[in-house]
Amino acid sequence: MSIASFQDFARRFAESRSAVISLTVSLVFVFCAIFAPLLAPTDPYDLTHLQLSDALKPTGSKRMLPGEEVRVNIRVNNGAITVLPASPTKTRLSLAASSCGPNCLTVSVEPTAARLGSLQVRNLPNGATIEGAKKHPIQPWWTIDNPESSEVRITSATSLPASFTLLAIAKSLDQETDFVFRLGTDNFGRDMLSAILYGIRISVVVGLVAAGAAMVLGTALGLFAAWQRGVTDAIIMRAVDFMLGLPALLIGLAILAILGNGVSKVVLAIVIVQWSYYARTARSFAMSELGKEYVEAARCLRLSPVRIMLRHVLPNCMPQIIVLFTLNIAAAISMESSLSFLGVGLPLTRPSLGMLIASGYEFIFSQKYWISIYPGVVLLVMIVAMNLLGDRLRDLNNPRLDR
Amino acid sequence: MNEMIFEAKDLSRSFAVGSSPLQDFTDHFLRNRQPAVLRAVDNVSMTLNEGETLGVVGESGCGKSTLARMIAGILPASSGERRFRGEDYDSFLRRKRDALKVQMVFQDPMSSLNPRLRVGEIVGEAAVLHGLVPRSRVKDYVVDILARVGLPADSVGRYPHQFSGGQRQRVGIARALAVKPDMLICDEAVAALDVSVQAQIINLLLDIRRDSGLAMIFISHDLGVIRHLCDRVAVMYLGRVVELAKTSELFASPTHPYTRMLLDGMPKISAQRRRFMPIQGEIPSPLNPPSGCHFHPRCPMVTDHCHRVRPELREIEPGHVHACLNVEPHSKRL
Repeated sequence: MSIASFQDFARRFAESRSAVISLTVSLVFVFCAIFAPLLAPTDPYDLTHLQLSDALKPTGSKRMLPGEEVRVNIRVNNGAITVLPASPTKTRLSLAASSCGPNCLTVSVEPTAARLGSLQVRNLPNGATIEGAKKHPIQPWWTIDNPESSEVRITSATSLPASFTLLAIAKSLDQETDFVFRLGTDNFGRDMLSAILYGIRISVVVGLVAAGAAMVLGTALGLFAAWQRGVTDAIIMRAVDFMLGLPALLIGLAILAILGNGVSKVVLAIVIVQWSYYARTARSFAMSELGKEYVEAARCLRLSPVRIMLRHVLPNCMPQIIVLFTLNIAAAISMESSLSFLGVGLPLTRPSLGMLIASGYEFIFSQKYWISIYPGVVLLVMIVAMNLLGDRLRDLNNPRLDR
Repeated sequence: MNEMIFEAKDLSRSFAVGSSPLQDFTDHFLRNRQPAVLRAVDNVSMTLNEGETLGVVGESGCGKSTLARMIAGILPASSGERRFRGEDYDSFLRRKRDALKVQMVFQDPMSSLNPRLRVGEIVGEAAVLHGLVPRSRVKDYVVDILARVGLPADSVGRYPHQFSGGQRQRVGIARALAVKPDMLICDEAVAALDVSVQAQIINLLLDIRRDSGLAMIFISHDLGVIRHLCDRVAVMYLGRVVELAKTSELFASPTHPYTRMLLDGMPKISAQRRRFMPIQGEIPSPLNPPSGCHFHPRCPMVTDHCHRVRPELREIEPGHVHACLNVEPHSKRL
């Protein structure tokens, strides 16, 4: 296609406003798919960062850091103080101890900003007391009344023993972070915005790869049938009729039930379903091209059949096949989503849009609408845009509709 | 006498009509019916000498184009022999580079050029692929060829739709010439063009023939063009050759009734007031041709004999053959 005819094509394409909008929307989705890791605030595939305390949070809520409990043994031996963590080693919260003069010991919580739920010091030596703390009626356990302050002071009227061990237990409250779940979270505490962006990525990749592979396979078979005619043609076309006669989703379900789930298997299932459309279209247009004199001229120039089909016939069939490709991307995306929704598509750890819709489906009646609605809207917009784009391309290719 | 470049002997081509493998199967086993067969070309024999131009003339649907495609080696023959310089076509066509010696110019200048290729590619593709020209020099080569057919050098980068019908036909001729053929088949090459453009293309073909000594088979339904261009003429009716003679002889003294009626239908300047005599009756369906002589339902000289016997080509004068049972050599001028 020359530059002039491309400009003419672009001008005619732009006559339809809906086509321009749908092209823009499609390009935005492609952009989202390519740059999802940069756009997404979190990585929804990183399961270690998921926490159940974030699950099912509505739109706009903030991520909470759950409270922690820290236990440390504080050993005092002839004035030397050592702090030995007793339980979990990796925590944000930590405890420290220092001497504050004779018969005086300070236990402090770090970071000082942490909001504490409780603070307790156990096994105080006889005679020692803590200001602003109550002693357990029986045990030598001192619970601080107001754990807001990050420091406690242990004092004793009598002199402390030369060596003793304290156990300090600090519990922090749940803590709000600056991170906001713009579109809420799903039942695993995944950020929906990130999950949708990555879901778009999967959908676009599956759509393009599956429709592309089906196009290559189907077009090749269609051209082969058109060239061979006769029995080969009849066999291929009956296979096409067979495939078109069965419901696409049923075939996909059957294939995935046998193969198991995974992106490559979903792509394979879609290719098996969709190749027949391309084969039929490619065959019919190739047949009409093969009847034209330029093909006879090419045969008279003793060009090889492969060259005639690929260089002379195929380029003249390409416009119709590209239209079909555009429409079939949308079909492939919706098929992938349908299969994922039905639970045979992609694994739970790599959610596509269909999977997200499915996982929100069980919560939609408990007013947790955001899990299903947002991916649903995105999927709807994406498929509508692709379909409008394909329709416009088809109209431009149909000379009867050309004014 | 010149060397013979091409010879066809009892060449036939039939098409099974509307058939598919499944239909063939059911027709054969279930309905016990023979599939319908169209005999587009029926036992045609002809020869072409080096440098000679043979015209083939006939009504629409008489098998001219099928014959052209069989001679060009695009269509296989159902039966009969084709020979190029004495060699059978089967082995001749297998040697791709030699098979380029037979080239064809097509009727429709719209569909005979691939709309997606530039003129440079259309003309140069085969020459490069078959190694006639190295890829690096193909542009100059194509420009030379285009100059021969009267197209400017800047046509190379243009697409077929940017040309007029006559120019496109020139591209079609250039495409055939680019592989240095010895024999050119023109299938109604000027039929789709305006009369003024027809004259240009015919002159171009005459120039090419003069310069390169091509043998040509010129297929047309236009008797005027045939008379102007051809050394010998074959007249076809419903897939068979009914008369073959030198152009001057055929036009001066046609012997077959069909040829005579065809020539009577030809407009002449002297016959301004005359009403043309159309040939009586419709051309019969080639699916179900008349028995015996195909022409008998429309022939003014028909006898019982004509219904039963298929007339063979007979020589009535040296170099003049016809297929009529009634016109005897001695009674040539009835």
